[in-house]
Formats: sequence, C-alpha cells, structure tokens
Amino acid sequence: MSHLTDDEMTELYYAESTSASDAHLRVCRECSAQYSKVKRTLDAIGSTPVPQRGADYGDRVWETLQPQLMPFEKKAGGWRGWANWKAVEVVASCAVLLTAVFLGGRYWERISTNKTNIASAPPATQRVILVVLTDHLDRTERLLVQLEHAGSKDRTANAELQSEAQELLASNRLYRVTASNAGDRELAGALDRLEGVLAEIANDPQLSAADIERVRKDMNTKGILFEIRVLRTRSSDQESGPGAAKGATI
Amino acid sequence: MQRSDHSIVLAVLAGNKEAYGALVRAHSASVFRVAFRIAGNEADAEEIVQEAFLRGYQRLESYQGRSGFGTWIYRIAVNCALNRISQTGVEAEYRHGEDRDPEEKTVQVATKDADPERVLLSREISAAQDIAMRRLTPIEKSAFVLRHLEERSTNEIAEVLNIAPNAAKQAVFRAVQKLRRELAPLRGNA
Repeated sequence: MSHLTDDEMTELYYAESTSASDAHLRVCRECSAQYSKVKRTLDAIGSTPVPQRGADYGDRVWETLQPQLMPFEKKAGGWRGWANWKAVEVVASCAVLLTAVFLGGRYWERISTNKTNIASAPPATQRVILVVLTDHLDRTERLLVQLEHAGSKDRTANAELQSEAQELLASNRLYRVTASNAGDRELAGALDRLEGVLAEIANDPQLSAADIERVRKDMNTKGILFEIRVLRTRSSDQESGPGAAKGATI
Repeated sequence: MQRSDHSIVLAVLAGNKEAYGALVRAHSASVFRVAFRIAGNEADAEEIVQEAFLRGYQRLESYQGRSGFGTWIYRIAVNCALNRISQTGVEAEYRHGEDRDPEEKTVQVATKDADPERVLLSREISAAQDIAMRRLTPIEKSAFVLRHLEERSTNEIAEVLNIAPNAAKQAVFRAVQKLRRELAPLRGNA
C-alpha cells in the first residue's frame, strides 16, 4: 500500500478511516511520524472557550423574542383564510370542468347514437328489465348447480337451498307471466319448468337428500340448467347493446 | 412531569404561543454554543440565537417530529450562523492588526510548564488559530466546527448543512489542510 494521504490521515484522526489505513499506519514509520504531526496540530486546535450563559439566559432570549411572535391561530386566520379561498377556487374550477366534460360527453354520445341506429336502441325500461332478468337467471343457475351437487345429509345446507328457492319462486312467477304476455314462448316455457323445480324444493316440509335426488331425476334439472344458461347468455347479449341479439325480450 | 418537546410544539401550533418559551429556555444554551463556535464572537452568536428561534417559530408547521426539536433548531441555528458569516465575508484580514511573517513567528512548543513565556505563546497560538479559522470559507468553517468541536459525524454534518456527505467530508479535509498550513509556522513542524 502506498503512503497515506493527508486526507486519509484526517480520516484517521476523526476515526472515520478504513482498516487498511489503520494497518498501514502501524507498519509504516514515515506515515506514523507524519500522522503524529497532524495529530499534534489538530489536538492543539481547541475551541475558544464558549462564554458561559447564566441560568436565566433562556428567559432573556424568550423575553426578546416573545413580542415578535404571533399566535398560530391568529396567524392562521389570514393565511388559512387565503388557503381556504384557494381551495374553494380549485374545487369550483374542477366542478366546472367536470360539468363541461359530462355535458360534452352526453352530447357526443347522443350524436353518435343518432348516427348509428336510432331504431335499434331498446328503451331504457327494457334495459332495466333485462338487467333484472339476467340477475334472476344467475341466481337460478347457481341454485340448480347447488342442487346438482347437493345430496348430503347436511340439513343446514338443505335449509339454505330451500330458502333460496322460496325467494326465487315468487320472482320467477312474475317473470313467467310477463314473458308469456310478451309472447316469448321460449323464455316462458323455461321459466315454467324452472318454477316446478323451485316449487318442489321450496314447499317440501322436510327437504332431505332423497327428496333432492328425486327432484333431480323426475324433473330433469340438468336440462333446465342448460336452458337457463342459454337464456342467460341471450339476455346478457341483449343487455350489452342494441342489435347484439335478436328475439323476444320481456 | 415535564412535557415532551413534541407535545409543546403541538400546543404552540394550537395557538399557545407562550408554550414556545419552554422550548426556547430548554435549547438556548446549546444553540448559543454552536452559534458562538461558528460566528466566533458573542454579539453575533446572541443574534443568531434570536434569529434561529424566530425562524423556528415561523417554520414550526413544517416540523414533523422525525428528529427531536433540539436537533431541528440546531440545524436552523447552524444555517443562520452560516448565512451570517457568509454575509460578513472572510473577515479574517488581520482584525487584530497583526501582519504575520511565518518565518518570524515560527516557534516550538516543547514544554508543558506554565511559565510566562509559554502562556504568551499559547495566546499567540490561540490568536493565530482564530485568524486561520476566519480564513476558511463559511462551509469549511461550519463543517470543521461541527466535526472538530461539536464532534458530529460526516453524515450529520451533511444533513445539517444540506450538502452531500462527500461534500461535507471534502469541506472538512480542506479546512484541516488550510489550518495546518496556517498554523505550521507557529508549530514549526505541522
């Protein structure tokens, strides 16, 4: 290792050196002598004694300082007031911008819709019905899947299944009647067959695994499940946009 | 039971101006010490203390309590001192009215006996040291004072002076080199 530089010796003095510098200093007489000089010089640089302050020094500083300070609440009145106005300004600007974007978007959407196909757009109420029907079909599909995998002697699970069937039964009747009135035979027929299954499950006084097995066999629940899936796909397509699927809807 | 500095700060921010007095009383001495060491005279140090606490109050909302209030106000004080010595410039130009010829002033301090001659030499060394310190740039002087007298680490110096650690280290190196050069004639061998 080459001899230590002045900076390395300074680092040594302030105990910030590397171990290599330390090791070198122990074996190199020249560096050791030079370091002694550096050390003597730095040791000699002492502080000019700091003049002692009395015990009341802090009090004196505070007495001088105190009149120059304004309490934060008072100070906050002006500054925060200004900040609040700035905040109001920013919020108002954002609101105006959002309104402009919203109205612009609506205007643009209206123009685009008119250009494409006004006649094919389903009325808003019809869309709502489609969304609700899709939800009903989702629930019935889940129930039929559960029914396919049921059969355990777990009374709690069977009770839950029965409770769900009771809820669906009431709404299913409404959809069936509406579909029938609208002349959608396919949907009305499927909902009719589904209603039979729901009624069997919902009205069984002591729903057991054997009862479920009987319903599955007698009422062909697998077939009904398939029908429901097809219908759900159709209603999802109709729901997603005009002209996506054709056929009767409720 | 004494309140913590942090809770006092919260009280001050809530509008209790008087609570700040407790912080001033608790930290005035340490702020004065570092101010004096950097500024080099009592009058400036007193003003730096006032300025540091005033700035501290004005910036109190930015105090986040990550470090103690003492450390925070210490940093402000060092920066106030640094600004002050930067404004006044290098005032080392022989305030004592002594032009020094290194050849003439070369002495050896070989004995520790407190004889009159040694006392005289000691005073002379002290005066020379004072002059040498004034010839350092503000950053060099602050870095050296923090390193040598306040025994702060390189990282602490860097943080206080708001510079990179390597820049802080280099400032200390330059200060040491300059001081050695200035004091060499007095020591005869430095």
